[in-house]
Amino acid sequence: MRLQDVAFRYRRTGPWILRDVALTLPSGGVTEVTGRNGAGKSTLLRLVAGLRVPRRGTVTGRPARVGYAPERFPADQPFTVGAYLAHMAAVRGLPASAARPWTERLALDHLLDVRLPELSKGSAQKVGLAQALLAHPGLLVLDEPFAGLDATTRDALPALVTDLASEGSTIIVSDHQRHIEHLPAVQRVHVKNGTVTPLPSAARPSAAEADGWTVLEVTVRTTDAEAVTAELRAAGHAVRRLDTRRDA
Amino acid sequence: MKALVVFGLRAYVRSLRVLPPLIVVLLIICVVLLPGLSGSGGADLATGALGDVPAMLFPIWAWVARALPDTQPDEQQALSATAARHPLIPTAAGLVASFVVNLGLGALAMALPLAKAVATGVGPAALAAGVLLLVLAALGATLLGAYTTRARIPAPGVSLLTLLAANVAVLLVSFSPVSWLSAPMTQWVRAAHDGPNALTAETPSLALHLLLWSTALAVGHTLLSRHPR
Repeated sequence: MRLQDVAFRYRRTGPWILRDVALTLPSGGVTEVTGRNGAGKSTLLRLVAGLRVPRRGTVTGRPARVGYAPERFPADQPFTVGAYLAHMAAVRGLPASAARPWTERLALDHLLDVRLPELSKGSAQKVGLAQALLAHPGLLVLDEPFAGLDATTRDALPALVTDLASEGSTIIVSDHQRHIEHLPAVQRVHVKNGTVTPLPSAARPSAAEADGWTVLEVTVRTTDAEAVTAELRAAGHAVRRLDTRRDA
Repeated sequence: MKALVVFGLRAYVRSLRVLPPLIVVLLIICVVLLPGLSGSGGADLATGALGDVPAMLFPIWAWVARALPDTQPDEQQALSATAARHPLIPTAAGLVASFVVNLGLGALAMALPLAKAVATGVGPAALAAGVLLLVLAALGATLLGAYTTRARIPAPGVSLLTLLAANVAVLLVSFSPVSWLSAPMTQWVRAAHDGPNALTAETPSLALHLLLWSTALAVGHTLLSRHPR
């Protein structure tokens, strides 16, 4: 799938959100999108998913089956989890049982009879992921999929992404929390100043690429590590733990 | 498509947003139709009511066509669009679901005038003409109201004012010399009040007018849906 010279703005006379975007999303590849809040990451993902039409440029080679999980799942709907997923399966021409493998894998089975508005943020996020995965999409677009997830699902999701990619799905993920950057062969792109630039794989934006950023090394008590990490991330900083088995 | 229609209908009913238009229709039946038709009037009175019902329901149908697709949050509309695989399908599904609800409301409101017409000896041709006009008027009102959904006009206040203005414009233009630009509302009411024979005679041209008007509105929807925001 390829985006060629894509430019987008919401109104005809509004400011350009993205310009001169050239991006190739390889089949079976995982692309991580990084960038500051408001940089245009979600807009880029919507263009990729086909939910927005570029004002200029072309998007070619989009697979027929697209799965899209938004940053905030719309939980304000009068359905239970099971009924909602059955409806979304029907919209895709699938039986209600199509949701079963994904609800099991995302540990949603015990919530099937719960009404969507009663879900916690993390559980609602899982429903958003499940509906995106229903049809084994050829293109999977995930907008901040790790936000609010419990630790178990947060750890399981990268493996799920890898499995889908190995089956040939094209996957693009916006991930502030850097949970997939350790996956092998992840293509990384950075959204900044209205355009998209490639980054070296498994590397953070360098000081030159992300001017205005400084790398600090902070040592905290182990018992405080989670809380400090969460606070710094909530404040918009990129955090990587160096003393654990995996990057946090 | 069918699954999206069912999804939209269930969301509209389960969220109880169907109640306001339903209550208004029940009020029309209780306050206008029941007293009006309970007198000793004959076939002309009953036939007149066959024309009055679509005219009274027209703004309610347009209101339903605005409200039903808006039951779904914006992000859900995005999810439905990716699942449906075609940008026109969610819009079409919203229109079909609204039309189904509107036919139900129309059937509810039309039951009493139809029963009265049958009881007073109105012939099957005039009855069929009344039902045909009801269906076509519901179609036109649905297509008109759908222009004011959140997908078309994001600001709720502007959308509501546009809906009101559109309904008033339809009524006023149907009185004017350029009445061919509007739904022939005053014409079908006049034909119905002129009696069964007049209604039967006028229905082919009224139906053609409504069909052309609805087609123009549908073409507009198709063009707008090809360029999602």
